[in-house]
Amino acid sequence: MTLAQFFTTHWLGHLIVMVAQCLAIVVPLLVAVAYMTYADRKIWAAIQLRRGPNVVGPFGLLQPFADGLKLVLKETIVPSGANKVLFVLAPMITFITALIAWAVVPFDDGWVVADINVGILYLFAISSLGVYGIMIAGWASNSKYAFLGALRSAAQMVSYEVSIGFVLITVLLCAGSLNLSAIVKAQEGGFWSWYWLPLFPMFIVFFISALAETNRTPFDLPMSEAELVAGFHTEYSAMTFGLFFLGEYANMILLSGMGAVLFLGGWYSPLPFAPFTWIPGVVWFALKIAVLLFVFSWTKGTVPRYRYDQLMRLGWKVFLPFSLLWVALTAAAIQLFGWGPG
Amino acid sequence: MDGLHNWTLAAPEIFLAAAAMILLMIGVYRGERGADLVSSLCVASLGIAIFLVLRLEHGTAYHELFLVDAFTKMMKVLSLLAAGIAIVMSRSYFVLVGVWRFEFPVLVLLATLGMLVMISANDLMTLYLGLEMQSLALYVTAAFQRDSERSTEAGLKYFVLSSVASGMLLYGASLVYGFAGTTSFPGLARGFLAGDVATGAIIGLVFVLAGLVFKISAVPFHMWTPDVYEGAPTPVTALFSVAPKIAAMSLIVSVVMGPFRPLLAQWQQILVAVAVLSTIWGAIAALRQENIKRLMAYSSIANMGYVVLGLAAGTEEGVRSVVIYMIIYLAMNVGTFAVILSMRRKGVMVERISDLSGLAQRQPMMALALLLFMFSMAGIPPLAGFFAKLNVFLAAINAGLYVAATIAVLASVVGAYYYVRIVKVMYFDDPAEAFDRPVERDMAVVMLATALFVFPVFPVFQAPFMNGAQAAAKTFFSGR
Amino acid sequence: MIHALAFYVFAAVTVVSAFMVISARNPVHSVLYLILAFFNSAALFLLMGAEFIAMILVIVYVGAVAVLFLFVVMMLDINIAELRQGFLKYLPIGAAVGIALFAEILLALGAWSVSPVAAGSLRAKVSDVPNTEALGRLIYTDYMFLFQAAGMVLLIAMIGAIVLTLRTRPGVRRQKIAAQIGRRREEAVVLVKTRVGEGVSS
Repeated sequence: MTLAQFFTTHWLGHLIVMVAQCLAIVVPLLVAVAYMTYADRKIWAAIQLRRGPNVVGPFGLLQPFADGLKLVLKETIVPSGANKVLFVLAPMITFITALIAWAVVPFDDGWVVADINVGILYLFAISSLGVYGIMIAGWASNSKYAFLGALRSAAQMVSYEVSIGFVLITVLLCAGSLNLSAIVKAQEGGFWSWYWLPLFPMFIVFFISALAETNRTPFDLPMSEAELVAGFHTEYSAMTFGLFFLGEYANMILLSGMGAVLFLGGWYSPLPFAPFTWIPGVVWFALKIAVLLFVFSWTKGTVPRYRYDQLMRLGWKVFLPFSLLWVALTAAAIQLFGWGPG
Repeated sequence: MDGLHNWTLAAPEIFLAAAAMILLMIGVYRGERGADLVSSLCVASLGIAIFLVLRLEHGTAYHELFLVDAFTKMMKVLSLLAAGIAIVMSRSYFVLVGVWRFEFPVLVLLATLGMLVMISANDLMTLYLGLEMQSLALYVTAAFQRDSERSTEAGLKYFVLSSVASGMLLYGASLVYGFAGTTSFPGLARGFLAGDVATGAIIGLVFVLAGLVFKISAVPFHMWTPDVYEGAPTPVTALFSVAPKIAAMSLIVSVVMGPFRPLLAQWQQILVAVAVLSTIWGAIAALRQENIKRLMAYSSIANMGYVVLGLAAGTEEGVRSVVIYMIIYLAMNVGTFAVILSMRRKGVMVERISDLSGLAQRQPMMALALLLFMFSMAGIPPLAGFFAKLNVFLAAINAGLYVAATIAVLASVVGAYYYVRIVKVMYFDDPAEAFDRPVERDMAVVMLATALFVFPVFPVFQAPFMNGAQAAAKTFFSGR
Repeated sequence: MIHALAFYVFAAVTVVSAFMVISARNPVHSVLYLILAFFNSAALFLLMGAEFIAMILVIVYVGAVAVLFLFVVMMLDINIAELRQGFLKYLPIGAAVGIALFAEILLALGAWSVSPVAAGSLRAKVSDVPNTEALGRLIYTDYMFLFQAAGMVLLIAMIGAIVLTLRTRPGVRRQKIAAQIGRRREEAVVLVKTRVGEGVSS
């Protein structure tokens, strides 16, 4: 049995390949999360005319690791009135759901762990699970601030998932497939042939709903420090808090990845000719994610928080009818003008 | 496009759905002031739907999911009529209690849409969807007076118990599908005719029947009826007592006479048991009632028993007697409820039987109308109700169900007591305080029309009704 | 073999968590077990190759229905002991009904014979179309009528929910964005010249 045969046929070989694939995604992702926190703080600092982290390591580059180390070394405190099992389970759920969604994201042509037929539904399903971590945390903490945060979060995520769902439908109407690689391939070409242009309003709706899904400003009501101390994770400390923190950033990266796949042509280079096509697709993909993440931070640095009723109003009275209308328009255009896929 | 073949057969349904959505928009934009307009437009749409139904050709559509024949057309017209009258009768009541809103007629319209789908069902899936469509709208109408504790309780009770019934129905349907391999009525009939009848399919049939019997509130699935009838707003009770009964009854007819006819021996026992129990329980339990709405609940349980008895005969004559009974039942019940809805003193509804004391001296015409309805329900010749019962009993006896028919006749004698008691209260008791006058014009018209139908129209001009019912019944026997 | 193993694991977890839904002491735990049961049923669908249904199950039931369920149950203040009081009283009747139903199922299974009509549709036809597409082709052609009817059912449910719960309370001041932005200086501000020591009397 050759080595190649071992990895493709034997069950142990399969297992090793699988674990290797997982590591190949998770490790860079965690590094990316670490530096996302760093970039986040640097960007806010720049917006507020400060310098940001600059003490630990050159330009403060080791700051995220120092923070992480601090969280690991601290004591995990479980409040005496808390529901212990659920209290510990909640951060894990948040963190795990943020990671497993990556299984279907195509980094480059063929670079995907599970190239399933219903990739986009899988992504949507997993991203709708994130809310459980928050709700369970809020309930299990047995604290009113945490509970209020959890309730807000549940209402908010459910509301904005609806419009994300409609956005996904418009995209898959255009692409004619639920497979993420196929969706990227349907956008082959330069930046003018990606979906952000024909579906521009949907791109905006998607981005704003993504902010709400990840509980980022201006939709960070579940943890609004002015009213709820720290919202759903008020009672969390040390690594349990760390997992929430990691999960939140991993989710942001995930939704940016979704945005890149759905609207920004995935791994394709924006200018489809020689010098640009030499750069590997995975780099373009990472760059697109980075651009979206920059906008995330930029928003956080410049936009004030919404009030609860404004948030609900935007979700149900603006986005929902608008995206519904756009689905109808897209479907009609595809049917009438034959723009659809085959 | 196989699914869209013959799609115009569903024209009344499509029209009602579109009308409901448009009326909803009109209501939303006109606000509370739009209720009157929406209500009259709803009645108009039901009228147009009747017209559309009458013009339909016969056949199946949508990949055999949907069926139109003489029987379904007849039943559709009856339920559309019942719903239209219910909307007409509801206005003054809801204005009185201060919840006259445009959603009510629209919900009735949507419930009617569900009924039409049920009646036309030619597949277990269509059956279920129609049933749910109708039931969902009816739950809401039962709880429509949402600030009244009794109304919300009625809505909730109806919802919970009805969901259990729907669950049973679905369980039965899945068993039938699992054993017979198809949900389509013609397909099932073919399978059963071919002679392979699995035990599982029969168990499934029992569950399906249980779910359907719940909807016509026959014993042993009647528990919800008195409470819901009493608690729901009176116009809603009036609607409940006719339209959904017609739809559900026609569904039972088309289920047992269509796909399950080869299993006659199996379902006949069930239906006979249901019929006997309903007639007995409806007669006995009604004796002690003081509230006229509760009384009507038991009366409808008993009436459904007679209808089921006619169906249990399993013959063409039996189906004909079902159709005739439903026509007459519609008239009697609607008329009675028009009287009940006119029972108000100083702007407050009253619903006790003793409130009717001496009505004959105060409002002789109304008392006369109620007398006609009560005698008709009791089955006293020559009123219409007598012919309804006569047909049922004849069908049962001709099919050899002697014991059941005898018990039902005896039960109807017991039942006659409480109908006659109301007449006695009206004519021989000391007069109570008078009801508000004049009676609403809508009610007066409904009362007059139905009373005239009960006597003398139906007893004298039976032929067209008999012929219509005959044609409807024949569809099951002449091969569609 | 792995396939069979996976089936038994998922099936066992589904049954156990379904049992825990009705036996857990805490209603929140019940809902969480319910979610677990949904998840495992989705996995069972996946094993059968019905990936679309599996994903929709997760999105609709786990992602939306159960969230709202949890939302409500968390806010309830239920006294479990009180709820369980009637349990023993109704146990014999419940057990009797359960046993009767179970016996019926056994009876039905014992006489298992599939009609010749059914035999043809026992095994799903294998085709190269992904099952999302296959479902779409069926729903939008043969079952068009049922699809539309289901839509009407949902519409009715929506109307019902609004009718029963929407209340317009008088005296509530709402945000009217257009009116607020459309307001002009003259309507809002009055400049008053005041002399020192006199102040402004309305």
